[in-house]
Amino acid sequence: MPMVVGVVAGVAVAAIAVLIGLFKLMWRVAEPNEALIISGSNHKTEGLEAGMGFRIVTGRGTLVLPGVQAVRKLSLDLNETELHVDCVTHQGIPLKVRGVVIFKVGDDFVSIANAGRRFLDQQKLMSERVHNVFAGHLRSIVGGLTVEDMIRDREKLTGQTRAACGTEMEKLGLIVDSLQIHEIEDPTGYIQNLAMPHAAAVQRDARIAQAEANRLATEAEQKSYARMAEATRDSEILQAGYQAERDKAGAKARQAGPLADAAARQEVVVQETRIAELEAHRREQQLQADVRKPADAKAYEKRTLAEAERDAQISGAEAKAKETELAAAAEATRVKTAAMAEAEATKARGTAMAASTRATGEAEAASAQAKGLAEAEAARAKGLAEAEAIKARAAALAENQEAVVAQQLAENWPEIVRAGASAFGNADNMVILNGADGMADMFAKALTMGGTGLGLARQLLASMNQNGQPVNGSSLNGVASPPSQKVPVQE
Amino acid sequence: MDDASMVGLMGRVTGTIGPGLVGEVIVRVRGGAEHFLAYPASGTDRIERGTVVMVVEYLPPRTVYVQAAYDS
Repeated sequence: MPMVVGVVAGVAVAAIAVLIGLFKLMWRVAEPNEALIISGSNHKTEGLEAGMGFRIVTGRGTLVLPGVQAVRKLSLDLNETELHVDCVTHQGIPLKVRGVVIFKVGDDFVSIANAGRRFLDQQKLMSERVHNVFAGHLRSIVGGLTVEDMIRDREKLTGQTRAACGTEMEKLGLIVDSLQIHEIEDPTGYIQNLAMPHAAAVQRDARIAQAEANRLATEAEQKSYARMAEATRDSEILQAGYQAERDKAGAKARQAGPLADAAARQEVVVQETRIAELEAHRREQQLQADVRKPADAKAYEKRTLAEAERDAQISGAEAKAKETELAAAAEATRVKTAAMAEAEATKARGTAMAASTRATGEAEAASAQAKGLAEAEAARAKGLAEAEAIKARAAALAENQEAVVAQQLAENWPEIVRAGASAFGNADNMVILNGADGMADMFAKALTMGGTGLGLARQLLASMNQNGQPVNGSSLNGVASPPSQKVPVQE
Repeated sequence: MDDASMVGLMGRVTGTIGPGLVGEVIVRVRGGAEHFLAYPASGTDRIERGTVVMVVEYLPPRTVYVQAAYDS
């Protein structure tokens, strides 16, 4: 059983494989760059009129009966043909033209059918055929052109190519993509000569341009050199300046050492000098301290002692003199004061007694007169007598007043004298040249001042007495009254 | 591919078309662009390169008659 199953399975697999193989044989696919031309069957023709007898397939697969139908491939690829043609141009100039024609089978079925009929077995020879066709056509094309056109006018060349070959190639079912002229050999040198004037002009222009450029370049170069020279000059000037500065600085630096040495030496000398000065000063100070100061001290001591002694002596002598002087003065003052007081007292007493006596006498006289009058005139003169009595009493009172004044002067005499002597109270030192006599004179003068005050007092009293008694004559004459004559008494 | 499909297509002149000249147009066809020999549809026109043209007649295999697509 399994055997049968295995056989069946194997047969089935074989059948499938056979079917696949048959399909592979029958199914043909046209690639993009080829057309399948299928002939041998009667079935419908595609894309072409009936009666053609074959069909064309492009770009897809199709079923083919092996052994019944023939399948041929026509390549639609690009082909090219080299051309080497001897031609004569429109101007009759012989040229050898090398070019290339690029062509292919047209993509439409008409073109494919035409090409298939013509080239299906000769696809390798297609280039040769085309070369032969084009060789003749190129001659006619070049013959319709001038050399200048060929060189310059591609449009005209292609136009001529189309005009000459277009329909021709249509018959073959081909398309000319491009006709290129690679090279034109010119045995007569026509092209060269053609180019010559232009070349000469170009050469001329080139030389002119070159010369101009050279001139400009030279100018620029010379300007540049001038600038460089200027820059070099400036640089050298600067360098020289800097060099000078460097030299100056170097010289200064070289001199710096000796200068510093000298300065240092100078400093040393200064310091040594200073030291010497200090030492001298110190020695001087020491000498001062050691020698002079003691000597000075000694001298000062001696001087001071001498001065003190002298001063002491002087002071002693002065004290003694002053003592003597003061003693003498005090003695003289005392004696004089005593004498004066005695004299004044005596005089005052005398004066008082005289005045009293006179007053008494006058009073008695007045009394006697009054008595006489009273007796003589009795009661009639009674009032008068009384008045006279009053007047007499007043006069007596005045006389008593003078006595009181005199008494007071006598009592105050010492103060008066002291006031006179007080003129001398402020004198610390008085040198009396005449000794005791001089002293007496001085005091006499001082007391005279007091005496003058006394005189004035007396004069005043006298004038009062004259007013009290009728002494009209003296007052009329204006002569000083007799009591003023008593003033010299006091001398 | 039938003849009628070419008629009415637009194309561009790549070689001057005119009386006495064999012109060329390039037309989009069959998924690519192919060039065809071109002649003016009305005998005396001259159509310069770059002009957009319309195919008015197709003569297999590679010839078309064209006229300018836009009035200039």
